Formats: sequence, structure tokens, C-alpha cells
Amino acid sequence: MKPYAFRRLSIFAAAVAALAVWSASAAPAAVEMSTGIRYVMDTGTLADCSAKAKTALGAYLQNVTEASPDSGEWIAFGQNGATSSATSSAAVRCYALPKGYVVTFTCAVQSPENPYNADALCLDVAHNFSGKPVTPLAAMPTPTPVPTGCSATNLFGTWSADDKPGLTLTMTMSGEVTDSDGVSGNWGLKGNTATLTYYGTHTLTLSADGKHLSGDGYHLTRKC
Amino acid sequence: MSSFFRHRVALPAVAGALAFALTCAAAPAALDMTVGARKLVTNEPLSACNSRAGSALRSVLGSAAEVEDTGEWKGNGPPGAQIGSAAAAAIHCYPIGSGYVVTFTCAAQLPENPDTAIAMCTKLAAAFDAATTAAL
Repeated sequence: MKPYAFRRLSIFAAAVAALAVWSASAAPAAVEMSTGIRYVMDTGTLADCSAKAKTALGAYLQNVTEASPDSGEWIAFGQNGATSSATSSAAVRCYALPKGYVVTFTCAVQSPENPYNADALCLDVAHNFSGKPVTPLAAMPTPTPVPTGCSATNLFGTWSADDKPGLTLTMTMSGEVTDSDGVSGNWGLKGNTATLTYYGTHTLTLSADGKHLSGDGYHLTRKC
Repeated sequence: MSSFFRHRVALPAVAGALAFALTCAAAPAALDMTVGARKLVTNEPLSACNSRAGSALRSVLGSAAEVEDTGEWKGNGPPGAQIGSAAAAAIHCYPIGSGYVVTFTCAAQLPENPDTAIAMCTKLAAAFDAATTAAL
């Protein structure tokens, strides 16, 4: 092999390896749990505790539910719009005493996706429960808005085949393609050149108005 | 092309590219949390609850620590995890008369953790009971 060719390939291999290391070393998601806040109340009933627990959880999280009816054990979750999944949760557990009740607060978050930590969540839930001042939590990320209309920067939407009545292709923002028969593939777009991996790999051209896709035997029109 | 090139350069490059694709295509993690069992134990001291809680957390998650001297225990896992923590659980002991009440609360990051939060809490409760004859 010629020296310069070997050098180029070595650089390429090193670059690929560096990319793999960089990708793998991105901050890994981890569960962070907070415990330690417990109130012992000399007065009040289990129902009182449950009402406060439900209100406190509902102030910061969604889907507040009681583990079983009249158990006094409550749990709720925080939906993260950026990940479309729960990244925070808290449990408030009430237990009746001969006089009053004891209540514990346990919180968990998934880091780094969640915008606040488990201690901050538990402190606010507990302070809301007891009527103490609270510190506002960082807002959860909101979902990425779904594009509307025909855009020249993506292929998102439903496309119909001009020459094959009844055939439609649905393309998602994540690059997936599914036709009206359930056959799936992928799409990519660079400039106005689209790559469609669907019964083979095809190169098509997107029109300036983002409405027409043609080439390699395909003529598609987007619904928008 | 020489066999030296194929084995020393091309194969590592392909392996690297595969590793890159696999690490970047992992499914997004989601937090799973559950309110586990609550047990009322009579005629057993709070210290027994603490012993069982520590033993159960160590056996299921591989770690256990009490929050000062509160009877509230926390563990992270799973055992042998190299980076971060995909699971966590809390066991709360509170004295009631001559016994105590104990609760189990679990959280897991899915799909990274091998057990769901419910499965983990079930294991913890079983390990807590098993500690009656093993660790006490």
C-alpha cells in the first residue's frame, strides 16, 4: 500500500473511533433518588394527609394516583416533552397513627434529562404539603412542535403517488417512511436531494415549494 | 489491497462505525417508579427493620445507606453498574408501638435496568423477609 493511502485510511479509522468514543461518553442517563423528609403530625386523619398529598403532588406533577383506594399512598409523574416520557416522579405515603399520622416523601428524577433534581422536587412537594414557602422548579421542556404545511427542509407528511392511485407514503420527522400497505423504509434530505430507502435506494428531487418529489420512477405529491 | 490493510485498518474502521451507530441509536430512557409494599410488623424492634432494610438493599441493588439515624434507607444499583445508576430504592422504617411499619419505594430507568420498578420492589420485599433468618 502507498504511504499516503495508508495515512488517510488510518486518519479515517481514528476519526470513526473518536466519534464512537465521543458518542458513548455523552453523559449517561441515571436515576437520582431523594429520601429523608418525613413529617409526624400529632393531629389530623389519614384523609387529611391524603388530601394534602394529592394537592402537593398535583402542584408539580401529573397523573396523581392513589396506589389503592384509601391506602393514603400517592404517586405522580412529570412528563418531559423533549423525551416524550416521564423523567420525574414522587411518592407521598401517609400512614395513620393512634394520634395523627406519619408521612414520607420520596422523589426520583432521570438525570440529566430532567431540568431539576430529586431533592428540589421533594423539598417543594413537602413544603407544599406543610404550607411552607416553595422555590419554583425549572420548567419541563415542551415537545418539539410538529411542522405544518409543505416545507422544503423536510419530507414530513403524507405523500400520494401521482401514477399509482391509492398508494400513499407517510414520512415522520425521525426519517421513517410507511406506505399504505404497511411497508416501511427511511428518508433523508440534503438540500433538495432526497434519498428514499423503500424497495431499494432511490434519489429524488424536492421541488422548491416542498410539495413535489420526483425521480427514479417516483412522482409524489405532498398533502399540505 | 494487502491483508495487512484489511486486518489492521479496515476491520477496526468498520467495527468503530458499528459501535458508533449502536451507541447513538439506543432507545430513549424513561423513568419508572412505583409505590411498593407496606408492612406492619408487630413485636420486633426498629433495629430489626434497619438490619433487614440494609440487608435487602445490599442484596438486590448492591448498596445501602441510612439517611442519618432516621430509619430511612436508600440504595442504588444495579450491582456492578459501571456508569451512573439505573435503579434506586428506598425503604422507610417507622416505629409503631412495639413494632414498626416499613414501606418500599422503587425507581428504575428503562430499558437500561433489567428490572422494572415493580419487580425490584417485589425482590426487595422478599429479601427483607428473608433477612429474618439470614441476617438477623
